[in-house]
Amino acid sequence: MRGRVFDLQRCCVNDGPGLRTTVFLAGCPLRCAWCHNPEAFAGDTARWVEAEEVLDEVLADRDFFEATGGGLTVSGGEPLLQPAFVKEVLTRARAEGLHTCVQTSGAVPRDALLAIVGLADLVQFDLKHPDALTHERLTGRRNDDVLANAAFVAAHAKQVEFRVPVVPGFTDDGLEGTAAFVRGLGAHALHLLPYQRTYLDKYRRLGLGARCATVEPAAPSRLASLASRVEAAGVHAVLVC
Amino acid sequence: MQLERAVSSPLSAGPAPSPGGLHPKNAVLKQRLLGAEHWLCIERARYATEVWRQTGGLHPSLRAAKALANVLAKMTVRLEPEELLVGNRSSKPIAPPIAIERGDFTFVFKYLLEDLEAFGYRITPEDRRELLDDLIPWWEGRTVRDAKVAALEAQGLTSPPNASPLELVRKLRAFGPRTLGRVLTPRAGAEQPLHRRLPRLLRAIRAGAKDNVKGRGRCTDTQAHIVPGHKNVLAYGFSGIRDEARERLGRATTDDERGFLEAVVVTCEAMRDFSQRFAALARAQAEGAVDNERRLELLDIAKRCERVPWLPPRSFAEAVQAVWFVQNAAIISYGAGSGITPGRVDQLLFPFYEADVARGALTRDDARRLLEELVIKLNDNVVIWPNLGGVELNHLGSDVENITLGGVGRDGRDATNELSWLFTEAIENTSLATTASFRVSAKSPAAWVRRVVELHRRTNSPAFLCDETAIATLMNDGYPLEAARDYCLVGCVEPSGNGDTFGATGGTKVYFPTALDLVFNRGRTTFFGNQDGPDTGDPRAFRSFDELFAAFSRQLEVMVAQVTEATRLRDAIWAERFHNPLISCTIDGCLESARDMTRGGAHFNFGAVGGGGLATAVDSLATIRELVFERRAVSMGELLEGLRTNFRSHDALRELLRAGPRFGRDDARVDALAADVVARFCDLVRAQPTVTGGHFKASLISYGMNVYEGALEPATPDGRLAGAPLSNSMSPSNGAETKGPTAAFNSLARIDQTRIGYGNSLNMRLPIGLLGSDAGVDAVAGLVRGYFKKGGFHVQFNAADAATLRAAQERPQDFPDLIVRVSGYSAYFTRLGRSIQDDLIARAELSP
Repeated sequence: MRGRVFDLQRCCVNDGPGLRTTVFLAGCPLRCAWCHNPEAFAGDTARWVEAEEVLDEVLADRDFFEATGGGLTVSGGEPLLQPAFVKEVLTRARAEGLHTCVQTSGAVPRDALLAIVGLADLVQFDLKHPDALTHERLTGRRNDDVLANAAFVAAHAKQVEFRVPVVPGFTDDGLEGTAAFVRGLGAHALHLLPYQRTYLDKYRRLGLGARCATVEPAAPSRLASLASRVEAAGVHAVLVC
Repeated sequence: MQLERAVSSPLSAGPAPSPGGLHPKNAVLKQRLLGAEHWLCIERARYATEVWRQTGGLHPSLRAAKALANVLAKMTVRLEPEELLVGNRSSKPIAPPIAIERGDFTFVFKYLLEDLEAFGYRITPEDRRELLDDLIPWWEGRTVRDAKVAALEAQGLTSPPNASPLELVRKLRAFGPRTLGRVLTPRAGAEQPLHRRLPRLLRAIRAGAKDNVKGRGRCTDTQAHIVPGHKNVLAYGFSGIRDEARERLGRATTDDERGFLEAVVVTCEAMRDFSQRFAALARAQAEGAVDNERRLELLDIAKRCERVPWLPPRSFAEAVQAVWFVQNAAIISYGAGSGITPGRVDQLLFPFYEADVARGALTRDDARRLLEELVIKLNDNVVIWPNLGGVELNHLGSDVENITLGGVGRDGRDATNELSWLFTEAIENTSLATTASFRVSAKSPAAWVRRVVELHRRTNSPAFLCDETAIATLMNDGYPLEAARDYCLVGCVEPSGNGDTFGATGGTKVYFPTALDLVFNRGRTTFFGNQDGPDTGDPRAFRSFDELFAAFSRQLEVMVAQVTEATRLRDAIWAERFHNPLISCTIDGCLESARDMTRGGAHFNFGAVGGGGLATAVDSLATIRELVFERRAVSMGELLEGLRTNFRSHDALRELLRAGPRFGRDDARVDALAADVVARFCDLVRAQPTVTGGHFKASLISYGMNVYEGALEPATPDGRLAGAPLSNSMSPSNGAETKGPTAAFNSLARIDQTRIGYGNSLNMRLPIGLLGSDAGVDAVAGLVRGYFKKGGFHVQFNAADAATLRAAQERPQDFPDLIVRVSGYSAYFTRLGRSIQDDLIARAELSP
């Protein structure tokens, strides 16, 4: 079984617990204004890779996973555009006793989630914005299926982390709404991913224009105040940095 | 709670210093250290020479003892108003004691003093005259170096630069005029124009190259690199050691034994008198003190100095003072650049700490203040690198006094104690370039490993050492289990016994890429141009990689044989003439055998051969295997032409080579090659005996000298240009770490590191930002644990990011204490030479 992969990074620290190897799968249904991984849908870095090949490289770091409680993370793009491949990778990883994590935008068919929800120890589920029209303006698609899938994952995943990219002027006005939404799903925390500028040179190399090129990352004080608003909405704010 | 923790970890600001912060008096001492001028003080040279002049024919141990006693009796003693811990080593706050009898600095003083001064070293006109017109001339022909060079020349082991027209043309082609010019002229800002400086530069080069051992081997003039027997001084005091020497004197059977034992008596009493000078100074200052608190402190200092190190300490403060006296005097006796190591200070001092705390005589804060002061004092020990490259690169580097913390005890149980933590706080609070080695075993508390990782936020010094690997290594070399568990790190990362070993862990070196250079040129090195090794045949006639590898191994074998023979010749000179009864009498074994350490008096005896540029050579071999012998994309003839012209007009070839396989990417085939080279090297080294009755041990560390080491190496088949840095220590080549730290760890772990008797070093750079979060700290701790579980021996992280380093390069004044760990020792980034700075910046950023 082969999948289209545009990168594999070992030694990641913010893609689930412990040290992790993250596999980035090509293709994405969204076109987020701040997308950090434009090579998921542009350029020519993606290649076809066997699931077994992915596992070979992932398993090379087994000792480091064991030392930190880490494991394998499948990311993208949107990995669940290739559900069969993700399923095989996760199945093989579980057979090796690895901790598994899937990152998703949720903008995928329910079948894709069904296929993996029992195989992932952790699902990191991104919620960009609670308002449908704003969501469409920011990502190119409305969020009806995202919200429905969020509810599905909250009910069925072994563990789920809801995450919001904090992009000043783009997503920060939706934080409280998202917090309220996830609280309604029974979640206790919302993970905030502060916008960083380090990805911008990817756009330069790919010859693409970046819609967020002039956005400044939120200052620590601003992040603290956003976090306290999330807390006020009834869930813990976890700042990922 | 989660919120508070999460938000309070911004990327930029470091955390607050540990409880209390740096003691205000120590803050003054630290600022004085950072702001102090560097001086050349000739007192050590002057007072030792005084005795040497009058004592021809005396037993060498006794001669050394009397020379040291004269130095200790006459040198300036100082006591700063902020000090609790006393003992200086020269007349100025920062001035390396010059062991003139070694002779390794002589040509630097004779020809490069202007350059040293341009770098910021100062010397008074009177001292300069005395040094150049009186002291150096008397030592001409009498120093270790002079005798060593004579012996090497007599045995045909030297290889001076061959300046025949043909060789000059070859060199110019291979290096290019600019690279060659840079190699040959120090970049110091001496005001004189080059044509005025050239005559003395050439003399310096000729003098500096005199000890180039055939096959580009290095055999420096110094031995040392040793852990004195601090434990014995704490247990018995020098009075006890003297008494034992006297008792042993009664059973002495030869004049040699008597000479050594009498020297021990003289030395012990000189140590007593030395500390009494400080006691008297403290009492005198106390009389004039207006501040009552300081007056009481001075009286306490006096009382301590009246007791230790002559009598065993009774309190923590006395114990710290005793350790410092021994450490300081050992460095005076051996001179700068000697790698004298305090060892396991947390274990040494803990019984005193525990007893004082139990009887309510000591608080944690008081103990920390003393340890901070000790750490500051360990940092004022600069060394003048005694060679041209060193002068160019980092003559202001610190002469390492490595302290070892944590790890298991002699009983195999975790011995991390309250002092391990207090020393860590002291290192953090002082934020200096402290060279500290943190032993980690499977039994180490997780909180301890985390704590050491967190140190990176304020200082770059921590080195992680794996107990399991180190202990297995020491046992491979003949230590019993209990002694092996008590190991300390000497110099950079060399594991050695605790006060029972004559280690001589540094100073002798060969370079793996040179073996390839010798193969390509049928036994000649490109830079020196002499027939240094055997003719292993025309490489163009090799039909397989195995033939090439056999030739490489043969050259390496001859290089090791030559450099160890040179080292034995040097060591015989030390054994015959240049003893050190001070260090000897503290080490287990010397009193019983009534022999100086240089004559094999210690319980354990070894020598060292370092191997440099491993990854450069392995990458080169792997690239040849793939491109020349497997894919046949390049012919050996084309490759040789590219190397001999430094790839001028061979850009396509160089690009092909640079894309070749690399060590450090978790590529099992390349890693197997590295494992093979290391295993062969370790076996070759181990088979060589030392004059002290032990064997040589291999190390793979570059003391931050890989830039200098590369300066004399022509282009290599990995696409590296002539004169560019070699890979450092056992680390992958710069730019090779494309798969991240775990891949590099896996590659290194494929090498059997327990064969590498004197250790190896892996330098990794982490961006500062990573350590801003708890997840990042856990990640780094996990990397260390994971690597050690796989058999790794050492790893250290540089935490400064490239942007910070560039800013520091541009505005050094704004970054006076930006610390970088350079291959085993720590240095101030802004004081490093530009090429080392560039090397550090270029090192692959291993950002997860």
